[in-house]
Amino acid sequence: MSYTFQFGALLPYKADILAGIWLTLKLSFISILLGGLAGAVLASLRSTSGRAVRLVIDAYVEIIRNTPFLVQLFIVYFGLPGLGFRVGADTAALIGMTINLTAYSTEIIRAGIEAIHKSQIEAGEALGFTRFQILRHVIIVPAVGKVYPALCSQFVLMMLASSICSAISTPELAAAAAFVESQTYRSFEVYILVTLIYLTLALVLRGALALLGLWLFGRRAVRRPLAAMPEVSA
Amino acid sequence: MRLGKCMRAAIAAVAMGVAALATAGQAEAVTLNDIISRGKVRIGVLTGAPPMGMVDEKGNPTGYDVDVANLLGSYLSLPVELVPLTPPARIPALQTGKVDFLVATLAPTGERAKTVMFTQPYSAFNMDIISGPGATFTKLADLQGKRVAVNRGSSQETALRKAAVPGLQIVVFEDDSTSAQAVIAGQADAVALPSTVGEAIIKQRPDAQLHVGFTFFQQGNSMATKLDDFELRQWLNTSIYLMKISGDLDRIATKWTGRPMPVLPTF
Repeated sequence: MSYTFQFGALLPYKADILAGIWLTLKLSFISILLGGLAGAVLASLRSTSGRAVRLVIDAYVEIIRNTPFLVQLFIVYFGLPGLGFRVGADTAALIGMTINLTAYSTEIIRAGIEAIHKSQIEAGEALGFTRFQILRHVIIVPAVGKVYPALCSQFVLMMLASSICSAISTPELAAAAAFVESQTYRSFEVYILVTLIYLTLALVLRGALALLGLWLFGRRAVRRPLAAMPEVSA
Repeated sequence: MRLGKCMRAAIAAVAMGVAALATAGQAEAVTLNDIISRGKVRIGVLTGAPPMGMVDEKGNPTGYDVDVANLLGSYLSLPVELVPLTPPARIPALQTGKVDFLVATLAPTGERAKTVMFTQPYSAFNMDIISGPGATFTKLADLQGKRVAVNRGSSQETALRKAAVPGLQIVVFEDDSTSAQAVIAGQADAVALPSTVGEAIIKQRPDAQLHVGFTFFQQGNSMATKLDDFELRQWLNTSIYLMKISGDLDRIATKWTGRPMPVLPTF
């Protein structure tokens, strides 16, 4: 018997899939915004504060980066109620995603900050910048600009990893797919469709982030030909 | 043209995936002779749902399904290759030819019967609504406005959706134990579980004070073959009849569920 594809069987579930797409987009957008900002804050705190703060931030980053996302979600969803915080599945997903993404973006932006040459900061001091001005104009913005492509990859990965939130009953796209699959038993059709949707979402997100990068950091930050490298060593 | 190249690669990747799936979907019908000449029978059994299907201390599959599968192997005088499957993987594994047939606690439903062929029931259990210490439910109407956890794709999910209790919120998890965990953590008001699974969890976690509210339906489970494997299905039906007559099926049912196989209508 050869398998007969019947994509028409999925039509009655259009609303479920659309609701899944919407929640995936919402979760991704908010967690990218919060995780990106928190990452920038933590990375700059880490580079400007003493040993104790640095240790705490490093511990957080390493714990999150070296444990599975699924386990982190389970702890937020099933563990927090034990401490008296009961959050719904959507909020738990958002908290889990933000905590996870913050750790990665902190680590990525830290690398960018460490790549800022000492002479740049000295130049800032020589020009009479305040500490905050140096932090903002000389360190953070150029640092984020340097690591922006890596950051974008992490954002897209997070959007794709949001599918894991279906395990804690968050009704996002993967959960919607599993629901439709469990109702129609048309596994191939459902997952082919959802693969294409995720692919589209990822490409659109990548495109939007590239445009944002162009706007924030200018053309050189997005595409960086060798000739355009600033000659810092001279 | 970087994006163009990227797109082309992506489209090629998807196309290859689709092609692979399409080939995988073209599993041929299996006859009894194919199985005998192959020299072993591949049976899909359920895993992660004690006592029907689980793994023992040594990591080997065990449970009601495994005993029935091994009994079938002895009827064929062939070694059995057990393929442990999670609930959502059962029908796809059958369709792609990974297994010859399923002895995987699969409940016949109208929707499933469009994609696989069912045998007579070989096991049965009650579906219970189980809640925590805070609440007791005695009938479906009590579930109005409550959150009830179910295992995705399970027949308790289907039955609850069909019951269409107003305001009932069905919260879906990947397996029975996570669904029960949702009640223990207070994320759901109740969980719908097969009585066998429910009793095991109640016994395992006395501190959670879970208790059975009511039984909302009785489920019979069938073996399943691919849609056109009539010969295999007929042999399985005959084997189930023989197991019932010899008392072997009641012995297996009593061993794992504590009571003999209930009498269910056949089809």
